[in-house]
Amino acid sequence: MRSTTLLTGMVLISLWRPVFASEAVDTLLDEYRSEGVTEFSLEDGKVMWTQEFTDAETGKVRQCSTCHTADLTQEGKHEKTGKVIKPLAPSVNPERLTQIAEINKWFKRNCKWTIGRECTPQEKGNFLNFINAQ
Amino acid sequence: MSRIRVWDLPIRLFHWLLVFSFIATWLTEDNDRYLDFHVFFGYLFIGLLLFRLIWGIVGSHYARFAQFHYGFKAIRDYSKSLFSSHPQHFVGHNPAGSLAIFAIISLGLIVAVSGLLTLGGEEQHGVFAGLFSFAEGEIFHEIHEISAWLLLGVVGVHIAGVVVSSFLHRENLVRSMVTGYKMTETEQPSVNLHITVAILLLTILLISSGFYFQGYFTQTPDKPYLPFVGPQLASNETWQSECSDCHLAYHPSLLPSRSWQRIFKEQSEHFGDDLALDEETLTELGNFAINYAAETEVTEIAWKINHTVPLHDIPLRITETTYWKKQHHEIEDIIWQQQNVNSKANCSACHLDAKQGTFEDGAMRIPELID
Repeated sequence: MRSTTLLTGMVLISLWRPVFASEAVDTLLDEYRSEGVTEFSLEDGKVMWTQEFTDAETGKVRQCSTCHTADLTQEGKHEKTGKVIKPLAPSVNPERLTQIAEINKWFKRNCKWTIGRECTPQEKGNFLNFINAQ
Repeated sequence: MSRIRVWDLPIRLFHWLLVFSFIATWLTEDNDRYLDFHVFFGYLFIGLLLFRLIWGIVGSHYARFAQFHYGFKAIRDYSKSLFSSHPQHFVGHNPAGSLAIFAIISLGLIVAVSGLLTLGGEEQHGVFAGLFSFAEGEIFHEIHEISAWLLLGVVGVHIAGVVVSSFLHRENLVRSMVTGYKMTETEQPSVNLHITVAILLLTILLISSGFYFQGYFTQTPDKPYLPFVGPQLASNETWQSECSDCHLAYHPSLLPSRSWQRIFKEQSEHFGDDLALDEETLTELGNFAINYAAETEVTEIAWKINHTVPLHDIPLRITETTYWKKQHHEIEDIIWQQQNVNSKANCSACHLDAKQGTFEDGAMRIPELID
């Protein structure tokens, strides 16, 4: 009985470790590299963040900053529902960029909404570098 | 001629408080926002009627039912005499007045009890909460409304009778109900004031209203008082976090399960967004939605949505449902366009319990217009 408790405790301790933004980001960057990307550019990510895309259906201009604002340390606002979006910058919101599944989900959802297509591994890598530095 | 007290203080209080509560219930019947006030005045109304029944047995001389002149013969003779040169005069209740009182008390009890039954069935609140279904509540509601209109009619006849009688007998009956005094030529008993009973009545009223409305005095802007709290509905952490990323996590009981099935099947076209949810998440959300969809009829709103959406219809938006449209058609555009409302999807702008999914009638607050 005691040894089981001890063992469980040890397993739990070995599993428990703080998750840092860089860890999930590193894994994803490695994944993008394996898909053929050689270099990531924070600058390109920054430029694309405010780049204007016209939605084919509504004719409205869409940018990443439409919802997230140009300053990632600030709260954003959902374009349609007005729901408040917590800051994306890991410096003020440490929960950001820690879950790979979340990052993948939001890249797919938001690239399709903003640009009208999924982002390429190159673009995603650029964005991760840009956001992570905020 | 001598001046005697006919109406003791409790009778006069009863009369005018009944008038007040009757008017107040009519004024608060239309707007669900004031349901708690409507219910309070309803409680006051039934309380007064019960008091009157007791006072009709143990009260002062003219208040006692035994003193009433009623019965077929009394009414016939009285009616006949009204057209003669010497109309019969009664210091207390005349036969027509006696009849009016019996009608008002019995109809009033029907109105009040059917109101309590409606509250129990439709809202699942009050003394009859949990005893009746929503459908039964709707039947009680019908009875409540019909009997209330009938009562209004009887009150109209009663007022007309008071006016006619006041002119015929050249006495101000309304003033008598205020002062308690009447003039009489014959020897008639004058009654006691019964001030203790009157004070007791007022004290009970004051304490119970303070108790009933205390929430309004202790509320804060962040935590507004909700007079009616609905049942605790099933919740799911994934549902809460995934849905509320972009909008209010609408409780599954707000749409039928076929709607939820369609929503998750079409997740890549979710109102202009590709939700991009993974299989595991999708399954969890789908199961939660189907298990707790509108078909469960856990709340009045779930029941109403479920039985008003045509079976061939698969609405994707709650705002597309018949019930939603019916409930919101009176809301002016200017309200929807307000900054703090912004969208018809923003239920919690007005419904304080939108997050809980209960949508209680009394939890509705239309925000004030901001210029």
